[in-house]
Amino acid sequence: MSYVVAVDIGGTFTDLVAFDHDSQNVIYTKSPTTYGNFVDGILECFAKARVQPADATFLNHGTTLVINSLIQRRGARTALVTSKGFRDVLEIARGNRPDPFDLYYQRDEPLIPRELRFEVPERMDAKNEVITPLDTAALEALAAELKDLGVEAVGVFFMNSYLNPGHEEQAAETLRRLLPETYVTFSTELTREWYEYERSSTVAANAYVGPQVNTYIRRLESEMQGKGFDGSLFMMGSNGGLLSVDRTCRQPIGLVESGPIGGCIGAGAYAGALGFDNVVAFDMGGTTAKSALVENGRFSVESVYYVNGYVKGFPIKSPVIDIVEVGSGGGSIAWLDDQKRLHVGPQSAGSTPGPVCYGNGGTEPTITDANLILGRLNASRFLGGEMTLDIEAARRTLAEKIAEPLGYGGDEGLIRMADGIVSIATVIMAGAIRRVSVEHGLDPRDFVLFCYGGGGPLHARALAHELSIPTVVIPPEPGNFSAIGMLLADARLDLSKTFVGMLEGATVGEIQGQFAEMEYEAAAALAAEFGASEVTFEHHAEMRYRGQRHNIKVPVSGLADERAIRAAFEHDYKRRYGHADPKAAAEFQALHLSAFARQRRPDIARLPRAQASAGSEAKRPVYFGGAGGMVETRIYDRDGLAPGFTAAGPAVIEEYGSTTLVWPGDRFEIGPMREIRIQCGVK
Amino acid sequence: MDAASDKSSAQSTIDPITLEVIRHGLISITDQIDANITRTAFSPYIYEYKDFAVGIVTPDGHLMAQCKGGMPPFVADSVGTAVRDGLKVYGRERLHYGDVVVCNHAAVQGQHLNNTVMYTPIYAGPDREALIGFFAINVHWIDVAGAAPKSADIFDEGLQLRSIKLWSKGEPIEEVYRIIENNTRFPVDLLGDIESQLAGCLLGRDQTAALAERYGIPTFFSAVETILDQGEAAARARIRALPDGTYEAETFLDNDGDNDTPIPIRVKVVIAGDELTVDYTGLAPQQKGCVNSGYYGGGVTTARVAFKYLIMPNEPANEGIFRPLKLVLPEGTILSADPSAPMGNYSMPFPSVIDVVIRALGKAVPELATGGHFATHSGFRLHGRWPDGTPFNGHDSGHGGWGASARGDGAGPFRTMAHGDTRLIPLELQESILPIRIHEFTLRQDSAGAGRYRGGLGFRKVYDITADCLLQTNLDRTKHAPWGAAGGKDALPGRVTVFHKAGGDPVIMCKAKGYRLAAGDRVVLETGGGGGYGPPRERARTAVTRDLARGYISREAAARDYGFKD
Repeated sequence: MSYVVAVDIGGTFTDLVAFDHDSQNVIYTKSPTTYGNFVDGILECFAKARVQPADATFLNHGTTLVINSLIQRRGARTALVTSKGFRDVLEIARGNRPDPFDLYYQRDEPLIPRELRFEVPERMDAKNEVITPLDTAALEALAAELKDLGVEAVGVFFMNSYLNPGHEEQAAETLRRLLPETYVTFSTELTREWYEYERSSTVAANAYVGPQVNTYIRRLESEMQGKGFDGSLFMMGSNGGLLSVDRTCRQPIGLVESGPIGGCIGAGAYAGALGFDNVVAFDMGGTTAKSALVENGRFSVESVYYVNGYVKGFPIKSPVIDIVEVGSGGGSIAWLDDQKRLHVGPQSAGSTPGPVCYGNGGTEPTITDANLILGRLNASRFLGGEMTLDIEAARRTLAEKIAEPLGYGGDEGLIRMADGIVSIATVIMAGAIRRVSVEHGLDPRDFVLFCYGGGGPLHARALAHELSIPTVVIPPEPGNFSAIGMLLADARLDLSKTFVGMLEGATVGEIQGQFAEMEYEAAAALAAEFGASEVTFEHHAEMRYRGQRHNIKVPVSGLADERAIRAAFEHDYKRRYGHADPKAAAEFQALHLSAFARQRRPDIARLPRAQASAGSEAKRPVYFGGAGGMVETRIYDRDGLAPGFTAAGPAVIEEYGSTTLVWPGDRFEIGPMREIRIQCGVK
Repeated sequence: MDAASDKSSAQSTIDPITLEVIRHGLISITDQIDANITRTAFSPYIYEYKDFAVGIVTPDGHLMAQCKGGMPPFVADSVGTAVRDGLKVYGRERLHYGDVVVCNHAAVQGQHLNNTVMYTPIYAGPDREALIGFFAINVHWIDVAGAAPKSADIFDEGLQLRSIKLWSKGEPIEEVYRIIENNTRFPVDLLGDIESQLAGCLLGRDQTAALAERYGIPTFFSAVETILDQGEAAARARIRALPDGTYEAETFLDNDGDNDTPIPIRVKVVIAGDELTVDYTGLAPQQKGCVNSGYYGGGVTTARVAFKYLIMPNEPANEGIFRPLKLVLPEGTILSADPSAPMGNYSMPFPSVIDVVIRALGKAVPELATGGHFATHSGFRLHGRWPDGTPFNGHDSGHGGWGASARGDGAGPFRTMAHGDTRLIPLELQESILPIRIHEFTLRQDSAGAGRYRGGLGFRKVYDITADCLLQTNLDRTKHAPWGAAGGKDALPGRVTVFHKAGGDPVIMCKAKGYRLAAGDRVVLETGGGGGYGPPRERARTAVTRDLARGYISREAAARDYGFKD
């Protein structure tokens, strides 16, 4: 046996998927997430799946540890060391108020308070000249002070270090030597881009989560090894690739969006296997919905990410797949404000107490309650029958809190309001998809809508209608899809560098030199960390017209001269903004290199679990709004549908953890990978 | 649509779901065009200062929806004002599908001439027979010629375009483009920005028409009317909860930049039932310096911005929420100047005016009261030529402290109440393009007003000058410091101090033009803090200890303001 195993730790469940390369068997298990020691939940999954850790050759692991630690402020006692005169850069931030009319607006407190931010004499200028050498005596005295203060982690950030990291490296080395027990990190080992606030904020966050992530990973490694595991452990990076354990320990910030990435990778892999160039990946869970684009098999990766959002949060410069998230999930609450205006979310009943129909003490009507009232969920077969839903409680609550106050009495009024709640949620979620597509100059109608997560398949069809997307695809195992994606990930390493210069012949040569250096560094790292011998590269340049402040990221792989780069820049600029100026001078701002090493992947066609169930003949009334009202609808058991099966809507297709809705006038079929394909009918 | 039509019928013809879907639809259209403009514009006023606004206006020229971003002064229906003038000039029947109109006229908008509204009528229906509104975008045009801030009147400030068609029935009018192109110092940038403004108008128009057609034009009108009525009802409910009465406050601007006389800003706020009146009778008269603005661009704008801060911070801006706001504003004040008055720095008084309105109402409602904020644009500009003769020109600005409130300590440093999502320029970028090295960039100790809750801190930025250049600064409110509230102390105002390498006493200044600096000089920009809230002696000892440990306050200030002893 030779398993490749993926483990995804979520807020409620730890999911495990194991694929045996020898037998081509696949195993899925789920176990409650064990707060306190996450490793227990992982080992429980192995036990339930009857996979011996000794039989696992690869373990790919995603976790929300980093983002939770940053948002809940549960990281280490951390100090920041800066150039003299600049310890407040972290606190002053960029001085903006993204919520302009909030008189009391406050940004989240800095991760590191002022009393733990220290300065040492040192300075480079903007031409890379040393103005003040690093004062090593002052640094040594500071090390002693940090020790007395019981500091567990230190971040080092110096002005203009993006040009020359020498002083930062030297300071980190000294601190590591004098404080061997302390986690030490410096800004330019995380990013070589300019802008002092963004770099200091990045290194502060990396230091803050460093000790926790190191402790967790070393513990996971040693406990797994204790159970006989001698394969390779890789972590799921926010950039959509696997990271080695060593790199993760140095750059834990690379895990910031480790959780939701798996689904995007899965969507990309399926899109490739099914021959779709362009896919909108859409994931709807209990509290939020997320959307990302896969264009020609590639994700767009953003180089800045705001922890706790742009309005109040802080930035980190770390490559993260461009995911737009909105507060709409199954648990999102419908409520009326004092003008009796109906809102859906962003507050969520989450999984506890959860929707009213769960019967766990939820008192506010949610999207899930609305779907149940509309006949779209099966009250007696929720989670494969592990839970029974209380439809009467859902109806009572929705009537009392929404329908009656708005003057919609009786059965008909109730149905109308339940449908309305789902419609409003659809508009909000469609907004997320528009943001990732239209703002990049792409038309969602050219994409296939690929939906997963517990709620994705249920709302897919309405979203397709809202966005005029003709085709919907629901992959197998939509409820486990994030873990599946992690099985399919490759190793990836991103390097970036500020490079300022005009687009002209001489700089193009310089850029090639810079990329060659970066390629050398990345290839060496992937060889050391993954034993990779074949590494492929993608090159992007951040460019703009001279005088502009916003850059666009242009793919420049294989473009050897000024004209070709100019053409690529204008093509992308025009696509995004609708116009380009052939006369205006263009300039470079930064270079990004992505390096990939392919991992051994399971055969996607083998991933759906073995089919057991027979077909069912059940029917029940389901509400379809404008498409016919309450309609007697055929209920299918997904496990009983073989590839090639096709039928007309309306239909409800039920499986463990998810339900797919097909509208009247649609046709659906089961595809070669056991995916459900819905051809949306006339509106 | 007629604002006077029967409100109850509007309520009954639209169901609450369609209403919400249209509400989300309208705001998401303006937000999407906002994002497009931010990214396509050429000029930093737009992408960095967000000096623009995107709105949808009713067929009679009133704001139905506006983007969430953008600068606060633009929530005041700058776009509606321009459309109403166009309706007056052309009449509905001469505003065709495919027409695009521009307006920056001082007698209409009453702001500096850079602020130019562009709009296009939105026709919907199978034959585009129904005018359902206008899609309008106000953009700060980078340059429209003129001599501001040295202007004596508006005619010194550049090109005025009063409701001029830039496109007619889908065709550009090249003569108008030529006029614009030849009346600006930066034609490439300006025409680039106009292109982006135009693309936004047309895309927004089409999306709004599609939204209306999807639900039917009567339903769309009904939704818009209900949205405005609900906004109005929400505002009235908030005002009704405030105690009736007349509340007054004042402060003084240092001067108009022309001669050194303090400028009084006296304001009365009257709460009567569910209406709020801002009475500007006590404002200073129109000034010789270019700090004036017109009735809409100044008076209505500042009153609406203050109203939004106080009454409706979370409600999207539309005409409905402002219906309960009344304005008393005689002609000829600094905020209702004659259209010929100089207006180049029209927004200079805004932060103080807005803050004084908030101060007045704070006297009635302690939970709304805040200490004053630093309230000045704090312009700071270094310019000159490199040794090879090429020019450099660095615009910088001060961020200062905001006032404390009953909720807690003040925040900041931020820009003023007339700014929003405006980010400071990174030091590493400044050092790479200007002859400066920043020696220090820190929070300014003891700059905040003391109180049970302390104000926010200003900053201290120390520039080491590495080549000869000229300095222009524009700090105000240095003589009338940001005030404390409810027994809190005043904060320190801002100042600029120059230490010449050649020696001599440090030179302290607020407003300077063309001040000579030499390599080796040091300039210190210190910005004001925010006022405190409540008596300082009531501040929790743990909070004083923490402020000391962090260095937000000095030992002397702790002893003096808080009676703190170890």
